[in-house]
Amino acid sequence: MALRAPPPDPSTLLDVRNITKRFGTGEEAIVAVDDVSFSVAPGEFVSIIGPSGCGKSTLFNIIGGLTGDYDGSVTVEGSAVSGTHPAIGMVFQEESTFPWRTVEDNVAFPLEIAGAPKAQRMERAAHFIALVGLQGFERRYPSELSGGMRQRVAIARTLASEPRILLMDEPFAALDEQTRLLLGDKVLQIQQTLQQTTLLITHNLTEAVQLSDRVLVMTYRPGRLKRSVRIDLPHPRDSEVVSSAAFGQFVAEIWQDLREEASRGVEDAESRVRKGAARR
Amino acid sequence: MTATKAARASGSTWTRSRGSTWLRSRTGARVVGIASSIAVIALVELLIIAGAINAFVVPKPTQILLAIPRIIAEENVLHRFWQTAQEVIWASLMLAVFGIALGSLLFRFVGLRLAFEAWVGALAAAPIVLMYPLFLVIFGRSTTTIVMIGFAAGLAPVILKTLDGLSGTRKVLIDVGRSFKLSRGQQFRKVLLPAALPAVFVGLKLGLIFAMINIVGVEFLINFGGLGQLINELAERYDLPGTYGAILFVILASVLFFAVLERIERWLRPVE
Amino acid sequence: MAAAGGMRPDSSSASHRVWLLRVAFVVIALLAWEALSRSGVLFKDVVPSLAAIGRALANVLSTRDFYANLGVTAQEIGIAVVIGGVAGVAVGIMLGANRFLSQAFESLLLYLGPTPKIIFFPVMIMWFGVGTGSKIAMGVVSCFFPIAISTAAGMRQIDTVLIRVGRSFRASTWQMVKSIYLPAMREPIVTGLRLGLGVAIIGTLLAETKLSNRGLGYLVIQSYALFDMPKMYALLIVLFVLSIGVNAMIGRFSHAQRRALA
Repeated sequence: MALRAPPPDPSTLLDVRNITKRFGTGEEAIVAVDDVSFSVAPGEFVSIIGPSGCGKSTLFNIIGGLTGDYDGSVTVEGSAVSGTHPAIGMVFQEESTFPWRTVEDNVAFPLEIAGAPKAQRMERAAHFIALVGLQGFERRYPSELSGGMRQRVAIARTLASEPRILLMDEPFAALDEQTRLLLGDKVLQIQQTLQQTTLLITHNLTEAVQLSDRVLVMTYRPGRLKRSVRIDLPHPRDSEVVSSAAFGQFVAEIWQDLREEASRGVEDAESRVRKGAARR
Repeated sequence: MTATKAARASGSTWTRSRGSTWLRSRTGARVVGIASSIAVIALVELLIIAGAINAFVVPKPTQILLAIPRIIAEENVLHRFWQTAQEVIWASLMLAVFGIALGSLLFRFVGLRLAFEAWVGALAAAPIVLMYPLFLVIFGRSTTTIVMIGFAAGLAPVILKTLDGLSGTRKVLIDVGRSFKLSRGQQFRKVLLPAALPAVFVGLKLGLIFAMINIVGVEFLINFGGLGQLINELAERYDLPGTYGAILFVILASVLFFAVLERIERWLRPVE
Repeated sequence: MAAAGGMRPDSSSASHRVWLLRVAFVVIALLAWEALSRSGVLFKDVVPSLAAIGRALANVLSTRDFYANLGVTAQEIGIAVVIGGVAGVAVGIMLGANRFLSQAFESLLLYLGPTPKIIFFPVMIMWFGVGTGSKIAMGVVSCFFPIAISTAAGMRQIDTVLIRVGRSFRASTWQMVKSIYLPAMREPIVTGLRLGLGVAIIGTLLAETKLSNRGLGYLVIQSYALFDMPKMYALLIVLFVLSIGVNAMIGRFSHAQRRALA
């Protein structure tokens, strides 16, 4: 069941309308994303959750402007997105810090591009480095840091460009569970402090419920929005919230939908292997 | 004893037995290596004294060793060393400038890359130094000839490794650049080039080694320049210990050069 | 792994563009050469006209003298690669198989490798005389090192798991060599030989230019001494075509082998 597109609302920051993305043509075409529409209000933290193969990363690339050639439209604060947009900040899943730059040079990068003078850059960078809790590490190189710390550098770098909306693609995927929870805490804190509009793509249910105001559930391929769940947990939240009863209820509710999609994904993978074996 | 027997029976060379642990260790091996080299040299010395090896063909190792300080004192070795070094430095500068520029050019224009990368690869395998008589005609019997040959011999690996490094940049780093809306020039200067630096340096190291080898070789062949010329002169004077000594000296110099390059590479590497 | 250089264009227009660019490059180079030759900017004979080079090329390729010398050089190189190859592979296997030997002696190879071997030539002359012997010796010294180093590295890279599998099936030494070592070593040895051939060619030819009265190297230096520039260019062209050609053939051969085994 596809979600109906909401009426255009001047108070939305990000407006995604009728996005459809096909790979390949004709018979062999795969529809990765099918008529997805939603919007994100200023200051909102929205997560998109779905099983592997549901097109979430494709959606990430489309909204961020890295992928073109799709049907539908993406608008940020009224202006259409085609190609990367300065109002959209992206945090990637893979290691994305520049290994040849120190932490502060990494974080100062967007300011350097914008042409800010050195003193100002370093001051702003120090501010964001402190925000993610890495003060004292300014002069270190990414290779000296742990994976979680490197992701914090990447987040600080994107925040330094002061984007209107922060777009994150499974930024904690490579980290262990405990680090995830603590980092999630941190990100939520920052988001609350800055009132940063955020769109998080994830496959992790606890993470989605812990951090978001709203969770959008995607179906398995072709990816459609199955349901939107408002997370009415109190703010400010921290990682303690995962042990509350209300939390458990939200997780259960979303898991029902997610499980259906996840098992469709598994079945699909198995049938593909069977078909491949039969061909030999 | 039984431990060693068992080890040998299973065919494994990695097993250590208590008694010979040190000998099998890394330093033990090195010492054995050096010791056997010295043993071979001592053997040669004895064979020459005994007359089994003609002293007019192979001078006594002790004589060769004595010749080295003599050469250093009489033949202005430091000056020659500096001359060769200068030639290598000039060649390196040209290699860095043109090699990286051409590599970047091939990267920037895919059409050029598809058309000419294979040609550059063929150039890397070609016996460029054989053109030295041609360079002699064009540039005369001068330092320029030597530098040009060093440059020509070392160019291909620099171009290829630069190309390699630039095109091997991780996609996510390029996406980061795109997400910050970098211009093409900014993307190149701030993302691609720094990411490619380790590979570029490997290419430069290779190019430098080729250049150095060819520079000293040509110095020998055309009897001009620094260290290579020294060997030639001593050979023409029939100064046998001197010739051997000079060859040894050049080998030591090139080993030093190679070791220094390795050190620099390792120093640059940790930033990876 | 992708880069901002551009996407892969569709193949037929791409290969057209490749050919176009290559032909254009060659044509422009030839035109520039001819212009340089006629302009007299450089001393006239240094840049002979394309016609003169062409004539010299035809001359060179049609005289028996050339082929005799080519034969001499080819023979020298061939023998050098055989001797250097056998010695290099043998030493490489020993060093690669035995960690102790490797730690004791391999650094010797690694440091002596990147040195200008031509400087050994006076010694080779003293030991082997002024004839082909010293040229072959030069070739051997040149190619021994890359072959030995490549072989040793190849030996070490053989998946130790495969060796243990062989041992667990109690394979005899010969069976181990045939079914595990040889197939695994084929590629590093071919790579080493290819590199070795390249440096053997250089070593032998340089020796010929220094002191010889036969061989291609001798012809080149003779044309220099006589200032017969068209002939020198012709000889160099032949030399380059031959060595690049041989290298390409080995490359094609090893690829074909690999595909046959795949």
